[in-house]
Amino acid sequence: MLRFTEIVGMDLARQAMLMLAVDPALGGVVVPAAVGSGKSTLARAFADLLPADCPFVELPLNVTEDRLIGGIDLEATLARGQRVVQRGLLAQADGGVLYIDAISLLDAGAVSQVVDAMSRGEVLVEREGLSEVHPARFMLVGTWDPGDGDVRMGLLDRVGLIVPLTGQGDWRARREIVSTVLAAARRGDGAEANSADEHDVGLALLREQLAAARTRLTDLELTSEQLEALVSAALSLGVEGNRADIFAARAARAAAALAGRDEVAEQDLETAIKLVLMPRATSVPDCEDDTSSPPETQAAGQESGDEGATPPEASADDTPDAATDRGADTLPEAADASPEDTPPASPPETADTAGPPDLLEDLLLEAEATEMPEDILTVSVAQRARSRAGSRGEALNSRRGRFVRARPGTAREGRIALIPTLLAAAPWQDSRREDAAARGRTLRTGLLIRGEDLRIRQFRDKSGTLFVFLVDASGSMALNRMRQAKGAVASLLQNAYVHRDQVALIAFRGQRAEVLLPPSQSVDRAKRELDVLPTGGGTPLASALHQGLEVARQARSRGISQVTFILITDGRGNIGLSQATDPSAPRPERAALEAEVAALAAATAGAGIATVVVDTQAKYLSRGEAERLAGQLQGRYFYLPNARAEQIVEAALG
Amino acid sequence: MNSRTPRPRRRAARPQAFPFTAIVGQEEMKLALTLNVIDPRIGGVLVMGHRGTGKSTTVRALAEVLPSIERVRDDPYNRTAAEVIAEEQPRVGRRRMRPEELDIETVPVPVVDLPLGATEDRVCGTIDIEQALTSGVKAFEPGLLAQANRGFLYIDEVNLLDDHLVDVLLDVAASGRNVVEREGIGIRHPARFVLVGSGNPEEGELRPQLLDRFGLYARILTITELDARVEIVRRRRAFDDDPTAFFRRWNRSQRALQRTIVAARERLPGIVLPDTVLTDIARLCMQLDIDGHRGELTITRTAQAYAALQGDETVSREHVRAIVGLALRHRLRKDPLETLDPGEKIERELARVFGEDQAD
Repeated sequence: MLRFTEIVGMDLARQAMLMLAVDPALGGVVVPAAVGSGKSTLARAFADLLPADCPFVELPLNVTEDRLIGGIDLEATLARGQRVVQRGLLAQADGGVLYIDAISLLDAGAVSQVVDAMSRGEVLVEREGLSEVHPARFMLVGTWDPGDGDVRMGLLDRVGLIVPLTGQGDWRARREIVSTVLAAARRGDGAEANSADEHDVGLALLREQLAAARTRLTDLELTSEQLEALVSAALSLGVEGNRADIFAARAARAAAALAGRDEVAEQDLETAIKLVLMPRATSVPDCEDDTSSPPETQAAGQESGDEGATPPEASADDTPDAATDRGADTLPEAADASPEDTPPASPPETADTAGPPDLLEDLLLEAEATEMPEDILTVSVAQRARSRAGSRGEALNSRRGRFVRARPGTAREGRIALIPTLLAAAPWQDSRREDAAARGRTLRTGLLIRGEDLRIRQFRDKSGTLFVFLVDASGSMALNRMRQAKGAVASLLQNAYVHRDQVALIAFRGQRAEVLLPPSQSVDRAKRELDVLPTGGGTPLASALHQGLEVARQARSRGISQVTFILITDGRGNIGLSQATDPSAPRPERAALEAEVAALAAATAGAGIATVVVDTQAKYLSRGEAERLAGQLQGRYFYLPNARAEQIVEAALG
Repeated sequence: MNSRTPRPRRRAARPQAFPFTAIVGQEEMKLALTLNVIDPRIGGVLVMGHRGTGKSTTVRALAEVLPSIERVRDDPYNRTAAEVIAEEQPRVGRRRMRPEELDIETVPVPVVDLPLGATEDRVCGTIDIEQALTSGVKAFEPGLLAQANRGFLYIDEVNLLDDHLVDVLLDVAASGRNVVEREGIGIRHPARFVLVGSGNPEEGELRPQLLDRFGLYARILTITELDARVEIVRRRRAFDDDPTAFFRRWNRSQRALQRTIVAARERLPGIVLPDTVLTDIARLCMQLDIDGHRGELTITRTAQAYAALQGDETVSREHVRAIVGLALRHRLRKDPLETLDPGEKIERELARVFGEDQAD
């Protein structure tokens, strides 16, 4: 294994970890990076920076809730005849590090537990007859591959330092990485002893530097001007909440202490902005979670007046965008907001795909109340009912999900719930003993458990269904059709909300489809994205299906098995998949376009994704494209009715 | 009832809570919580809003400014002497208990934290496993609902709470009693508490039935004033540096708030609610098309508590105006096409109802 001092590249990630080692109250470091970039090696090497007795707990992705939170250690309890409590992984990490690799794949329930522990600094165990409090103050170190999906914002928010996504670095650094890894491998064979010594010395020096920095930290103070500079940077970036401000102030002090300074300097503020505030920005285009709620708008407005105070990182080219009205003109940029594709290279690319000519065609349309057949969403509910026992997606099963309760059963039916089994057996011990004695059988000491006592764990599979809305926002959607489509999505969303399913929103227009909202339970966010969805340009239908499949794949890797596409379109794709990545690529022939869509449709059906196609084309213009598409997708077809829409709008607006 | 004194909870030194009065801004949340302390029948608070705005800090800080209650010593359900006697099962050959035979103690109003990972048996209470294993006796071990009786039950990230626990809460909140029928035991005990929940709406929605259970809904936004935000960072730094010293510095204002709350509670039964105000409230709820009567009831109680807090004796329109948003924001019909913020809609109707009267 590589030691911390041997790791080359990822400078910002290394600096973040050193800062965390100086001030653990920064909460943690998360590092997004592509596969094979060495992020997990770096994370594990973080242990080098800490005292030898400092716990370093790695959280496996398939961790169960009782392992995470803790519970009764059954074996020890039975052996000693008194209850013995096993601390969970969160409590075991107390005073040290909790490391999670592939954090975006961590089950939502486990994420909530981690967030809760970080919020309290302790774990409340209220489980299976146990009521305890275990201290759990740990530093969270997390790494993930953005290709696997996003990390829940609630978790990121608790982590002080969020390393921005960077590329693989230049060739020089890459060559060095390769040679160090090779050297480490050779060292395993006993060769290169000198190099090993050299790094041991390096590590010892680094530890001393950290110790000195920790001492220095207590006396470091931000001046009022510096604190105000940080907070106004947070304001202009539209950072949500005050926690980030607090982290930023700490980060600046840690950076100064690490650099051996006795006063916080300009570059320390920059570091704090880079690692704490920028990743949480909501009012610059290239960030996640680009919402348009009132305070952010206010913050953006405030920025134009505060430009003088804005530190250098909130650079001038971000400012005008953020300060402009959050209407149609910020949207083309926001379209690139999904965090998967925000390497530094993306801004110029964005400019290409959504240039000024498209802007002129863009039309922002409000949703129009539209009645949808009530059973659209129930299609897939019925499918769920078939595929799993239980109803409305809250399948109770015996293998995975969240442990809910125990029921009588046999060992073959699932995992045995030990505590409930013991509870069932306990009251009968005396009578069974007498019974056995009466029959003259010799008894072992311990519990007498019979088959009828056995209790099986019942789990609730929380995964539910993911509805992916693929909304055609191209110019071919006539204006009133787009309004109806928005209304239809709004009412469908409301339905999904009632069933507590997840929704994702993909819009396609111009050159390519964009994921406007990654899978989320928030109908509010979906509605907001929808409200500001502009219309115009070509119909990249193939790209939409392609993106939909990608969202479905990510969802499945997170355990959401049921995915339903709701495709709202006239079915007339006219932009090829090749044009999505290369805007200058020629438009393929009609036959090629159709073949592309057909192939993707077959792949969708093959992946077991249920589909509903909502046709938006006016009857007299339709050549049946949408209906044909529904056939290729093996999905259901609905023709969007326009009757009564006006009346409903009237009634709704009163 | 097989009431055995529960084991004292093993508690390590808990982290010191941030002082309630040192929290900058977020007046809406603080007011909603305070009003529920004055009148627990208001029905609790749901605090929803941006991350990192001090939602859970504020709720956890509340414990320090709560007044105290009297209960029978070590009663696992925090019952008064009268309640214990009323619930005593009459037994042959035993005379009824008398209040003076019960030992009474004064304890702080309990604030119970319900963590997301809690299992149903710990929430509702269950058979005491240790007793069951060692002596084969089926004794009831009270759960969190028992501990929360006459106090506060707090659920952080309430929108992520598992459905089966939500069902339990809905049952108990409706009846004020917890009924346990499991593992061969049957127990019912009082469980009346102020339900406090917090969360971020972007993480997920709340079940409509649960939403409706909360008396008040406080919405939390990020503070956008530079000075306030700077002050928050400063205070947090001072607190982190030396929590005890920081707390001492805020002690005087904490005690002052506590006294204000106690005085308001004493004033509450005498608060007059004029018929004209009651009519206003009913009309407002009608105009806003609020389902059921919980809306009116909540506004009425909250306005009375608010008047008591202000040191007034009669509920006026201004009192209603100050709290109506808190009481109604989550009760407006959910309309997927509504672009108007619920708060604005309430303001509009409020102006209409109050305005019409002036014209009369």
